[in-house]
Amino acid sequence: MSAEPVAAELVERRVILPDQRIDAFHAPAIAVSARAGQVLQVLLADDEGLVVRRAFAINTVDPSTGVISVHVAGPARADALARLRVGDRAPLAGPFGRPFEVDPRTTHILLIAEGAAIGRLRLLADEALREGRQVTVLLGAQSARDVYPSTLLPDEVEYVVATVDGSLGHPGSVADLVPQYEAWADQAFAAGSPALLGKLAALSASRLTRMGVAKLGRRRGAAKVDPPGSPSARRKSFLQVVVELDVACAAATCLGCVVDGHAGLLRACREGPVFAATELSLETVA
Amino acid sequence: MGGSGEALAAPVPSVPLDLSVDLGSGLFLRNPILVASGALGYGIEAEDDLAPERIGALVTRGTTLRGRTGNPAPRMARTPAGLLNAIGLHNPGLAAVLERFAEQWARWPLPVILNLAADNVGEFAEMARRLEGVLGIAGVELNLSCPNANRGGTLFALEADSAAAVTTAVRRATALPLLVKLSPAAPDPRAVARAVADSGADAISAVNTLPGLVLAADRSRPALGAAYGGLSGPALRPIALRVVHEIATSVRIPVVAMGGVTTLSDVLDFLAVGAQAVAVGTAAIGDPGLPARLADELEDECQARGLSSHLSLIGTAQGHRPGNPSARGAEYRP
Repeated sequence: MSAEPVAAELVERRVILPDQRIDAFHAPAIAVSARAGQVLQVLLADDEGLVVRRAFAINTVDPSTGVISVHVAGPARADALARLRVGDRAPLAGPFGRPFEVDPRTTHILLIAEGAAIGRLRLLADEALREGRQVTVLLGAQSARDVYPSTLLPDEVEYVVATVDGSLGHPGSVADLVPQYEAWADQAFAAGSPALLGKLAALSASRLTRMGVAKLGRRRGAAKVDPPGSPSARRKSFLQVVVELDVACAAATCLGCVVDGHAGLLRACREGPVFAATELSLETVA
Repeated sequence: MGGSGEALAAPVPSVPLDLSVDLGSGLFLRNPILVASGALGYGIEAEDDLAPERIGALVTRGTTLRGRTGNPAPRMARTPAGLLNAIGLHNPGLAAVLERFAEQWARWPLPVILNLAADNVGEFAEMARRLEGVLGIAGVELNLSCPNANRGGTLFALEADSAAAVTTAVRRATALPLLVKLSPAAPDPRAVARAVADSGADAISAVNTLPGLVLAADRSRPALGAAYGGLSGPALRPIALRVVHEIATSVRIPVVAMGGVTTLSDVLDFLAVGAQAVAVGTAAIGDPGLPARLADELEDECQARGLSSHLSLIGTAQGHRPGNPSARGAEYRP
């Protein structure tokens, strides 16, 4: 069912914001195949011996050293992982889930995130830059003190911030920034609350009309329909979203991680956590 | 120094070990460790980790007559020492389950007990009827923590007469071994247990989850899409232990205990309060190999104690039998 866990050493811990940190593990077996959008699971028992598989977005990967990092958000008291010290080992399993798919023709990538959800997109910036693409990150936060540090992003990334209280960058929602970049971007990738994803899906659906792009004639290959959930369907989608996976069996047995899809319920651990925005009924939760 | 001590230690004599359990109506388990309903779906998905040849039985996900899409997301939240879940009986329906899985279950080296859920007595009985003669189904477990549509939505498991009515109807509909799963929220679990025992149940499963609530991080709403969920895991264990203790002293049919089992010590606790068998639920979600390991550990424990079976471990803590139900009163009503 699931990948065999490996005992991985915690090699670095960086607190980046209140209740947010980056934990880096030496886990070559996972690092070698990890891709942006996927998760790994930490199989630590709580004080009562209960192992709850917790999934974390893969934040960065260095296949040359075998180091893989995860972005951990939330109060440390609720987190068995927080009790680990650098040098300790923890059972990790993964990578799990379907990754982001970037169209080979894409040259400009827009990453849109809200708060700590930036951790679910961070690796995609590295992958895109390595393949010679230009990357802009739009980040929304409550206030300046919640903004993801720019030093954690590669220098080549354009980084634009919106804060709800107006203390830094654009005052308001990160979704307000998106129309300025729609013409520039070939594809967009988003992580955040259901409300944000719903807004972005609506923007994406009306994008061509708002941009005044007419559909003339028939595009080559337009008649071919990619099966929902397939890598090609995601690759051809302008907007891909990654949903949060927290508690899950990662084996599609517990049905604890479902999301609403147009064709019925989808299991984030099996059919996701990355979806083409058009696969999900996001407007119903927006 | 240590070597001479080891050489002098007498080896523990090996005795033939019999861990088998008779749950009634011909349902024999090779050992008293089961997988509880909901933990590993229909088992097929987790077969590699499950080790079906080493555990007593698998109880499936709750299954309804017609398919259900379940509750809105999120469906699961962590709690101190447990989980809160509101899956909402998400399942493809009885016919689809039998078509997809029964043939494979028939080839498995362990009994599969199908957990049934419905919102009226007729539907419970109809499902039971459809299982007659189906290969691969070793027994049924009735999930009585469902709202009774004919009694204003009160859970079947909270009232002795409702629980008895379902049990009687299903007993008439099938000769399959019949387990009835009770709720820890019942004001008097002993009365419900006696009612289902008198109505033809072969065994009682105790306990189901207990309703609870977890809030979202910003406290603006419940964390779960369905608002309330069922609490499971070690947080539930003392309550489960109390209910099993009460039930096991009240009925003569076997009790299969569950509620926060994560270690051999928990298994021994439930046997001590009178359970004949013990099921692993929440802990198996994160660790599907745990039930098989616990079965091995129980075997080792019995051998280390020089026992020929686990029977002498059952009921050792029943010396003090409460005279009155411990959970009587409005404070236990949901």
